[in-house]
Amino acid sequence: MPNVFDATNPPFDRLTSQEVETLRAALDIAYFRPGETIIAQNAPASELFVVIKGTVEERDGADLQALLGPKDSFDSRALVHGKSGHAFVAREETLCYTCPKHVTLGLIQSNPRFASFFYREISHKLDELARDEEERRYGSLMRARVSELFLHPPVFINASDTIEAAGHLMREIGSNALFVRDGERIGIITGMNLSKAVVLRRQRIETPVREFAHFEVVTLRPDDFVSSALVLMTKHNKRRLAVHDGERYVGILEDIDLLGFLAGSAQIVAGRIDRASSEDELAVAAREISAQVRTLRRQGVRVEVIGEVVSDLNRRLLSRLFEMVAPSEIRTSGCLVVMGSEGRGEQTVRTDQDNGLILAGPVDKATLDTFRTDFSTALADFGFPPCPGNVMVRNSAWSKPFSDYLADFRRWVALPDESAHMNVAIFYDACAVAGDERLLTKAKTTLIDLIHGEQAYLAHFARAVDAFPTPIGLFNKLITSEGKGDALDLKKGGIFPIVHGIRSLAIEHGLLETATDKRIARLRDIGVLQASFARELSQTFQFLLMLRLDGQLAASAGTSGTLVRPSSLSSMERDLLRDAFQVVKQFRELVRHHFNLGMF
Amino acid sequence: MFKPGPADEAVAIDCETTGLNVRTDDVITIAAIKIRGNRILTSERFQAVLRPDALMQAEAIKVHRQRQIDVAQGSLIWTTLPAFLHFIGGRPLVGYYVDFDIAMLDKYILTLIGIELPNPRIEISKLYYERKYGDAPPNTTIDLSFAAILKDLGIPALAQHDAFNDALMSAMMYVELRDMKDRGVRIARPRTRGAIFNPMGG
Repeated sequence: MPNVFDATNPPFDRLTSQEVETLRAALDIAYFRPGETIIAQNAPASELFVVIKGTVEERDGADLQALLGPKDSFDSRALVHGKSGHAFVAREETLCYTCPKHVTLGLIQSNPRFASFFYREISHKLDELARDEEERRYGSLMRARVSELFLHPPVFINASDTIEAAGHLMREIGSNALFVRDGERIGIITGMNLSKAVVLRRQRIETPVREFAHFEVVTLRPDDFVSSALVLMTKHNKRRLAVHDGERYVGILEDIDLLGFLAGSAQIVAGRIDRASSEDELAVAAREISAQVRTLRRQGVRVEVIGEVVSDLNRRLLSRLFEMVAPSEIRTSGCLVVMGSEGRGEQTVRTDQDNGLILAGPVDKATLDTFRTDFSTALADFGFPPCPGNVMVRNSAWSKPFSDYLADFRRWVALPDESAHMNVAIFYDACAVAGDERLLTKAKTTLIDLIHGEQAYLAHFARAVDAFPTPIGLFNKLITSEGKGDALDLKKGGIFPIVHGIRSLAIEHGLLETATDKRIARLRDIGVLQASFARELSQTFQFLLMLRLDGQLAASAGTSGTLVRPSSLSSMERDLLRDAFQVVKQFRELVRHHFNLGMF
Repeated sequence: MFKPGPADEAVAIDCETTGLNVRTDDVITIAAIKIRGNRILTSERFQAVLRPDALMQAEAIKVHRQRQIDVAQGSLIWTTLPAFLHFIGGRPLVGYYVDFDIAMLDKYILTLIGIELPNPRIEISKLYYERKYGDAPPNTTIDLSFAAILKDLGIPALAQHDAFNDALMSAMMYVELRDMKDRGVRIARPRTRGAIFNPMGG
């Protein structure tokens, strides 16, 4: 087979050019008619298949596990372990490359990187992908030069100069660090060194700075890579490095500036929110939050970190708005909460308003009504669309005194209906943003106590993990302008079952964490989830969130961003997606078993 | 060659030529791929370059009719053809406008062994016509182009005008069209009415 076979497609991209030749020479092509079984369940395979055209179903009995498309290869298990856990059936007229078993195994033996693709557990594969991505995205930052960073000016002071003089000089030049010249020696002194000398060691401010300076200075050159600066700081445990161009010192590099370079400008937005003195200023800052998401993602920041940064900014924004809009009566006796995905801190792109207010006691109705409208309107102006389920402060059902919530809880638990379960789910994910946090904690513990031990209730609650019955088969056929394509609902198929299954387990065990990955970690700690499974689950979850975020960033107006077209993913990502859904499926089984959902 | 080939086997063939005139143009490369059942045996292919010079300057040769080079390269054809005949045996030959390729080859084969290729011929465009236009009402616009077949069958387009790639694409078309024929499946003709309603919007 001449170069028709695309060897840039993973895992074949790991082969050497000689190995690619071996592979190509051995390839045949097989045709399968619709409905034809390519590999039967639990049968060995004599070949590795790589799809050229068509679609192949991966089935477990009657369950559709995944759809494979062009460039996907299958099935390593049938080949390596001599037994395929799943059946592979052609769904359409399908053409596949076939590579004989002995050739594939030969390549696996001779090329460890190629082999790793077939042997690795999913979480390791995910890690590998994350690393590749990090390398790709962080790479450009790490290969930047030190000279591109912000450097503090190279200002010198004599070792015999006083603490006082050093302090004044620092203020004058607006820097926190100075070079200290002591004869031949060069050292660095910082504001913190000065403060410690005076405060902790009770030195007089006329004391020379010599004994407080550090003379073990680590230097690097302006054309060194940013990555080496990071390595030097870590290795020598230094927060500052001297930059020397071979002739003279050109500046001081501080860790905070290095990290700022790598991390983006989220803290600047945070500062802007805190300093905003009017709703207009707040609106400006609000618009910048969404811009941060794109920047952070491009910098290769992990999706859970982006989630944390963004929800922190959103919460600051809400808190600041609450301070501006709420009358003192509500501010002191109320607790503003965010709920749902915003409460879990897993929302990255601009979200609906999912918020509520818990009051310690009754408040004047007119005052409360004014606040309800003002707050929700201001948020809508900032670009937070109203919540379709009307879970927001504007709705009196979600902004009322604590005692009224208690009545609700009792009703939700005693006479549960569909909306009761949803309300419990929403409220259980709540997180306090402003006001008296104890109100929320009290409300949540009450809710947990009410539910505690109610196994039948919990089972009904957990049952929603099956709301979308075949998550892995959720490749909805969509008719697009170019023809038909397969799109897949990540939220229904993967994110929701994980979030809700974990939520059910968490509420059963009375956990107060809100973020799904924190809940997973706690459930692991108390022995509900096995450590290895907890790791796979949380990595799967992060992977799905990342795909969704990429989808959302790419989505043009009109699409939700939760639909992912497998054809637009790299085949590595598609492979991982398949594995990820496998983990989701295992987890659903676990939840089903745990809550004995078979009884329904 | 006169014995029928092994049951359920065929050979997809394609030639690259210096032009379309059987009398005056020459074969530059030949590719042949065996098909056994639903398997395309690319690992056992036949590929030969008959006119290495022409690969580089097909245009020039066409214009100048450099017959002396033919003589010089002629030996290549005579050493290659026996291997080719051995490879195809009595199997049916599959191709897109396969008559042309066979006519080109027959020019040499006639000289070599005194007969023309007796193999049964399987014409891709004919199979395609049956699947798509066999029941078409009169006045239907008919498109039997290679590109149209690729598109209807969803076969990826490989770099064209390479004998091996063309033979491979023909082989892929053949296995799929033959199966559709077995199952009595037709290729849909585009409707004259508007596009299909998209229930998802957008």
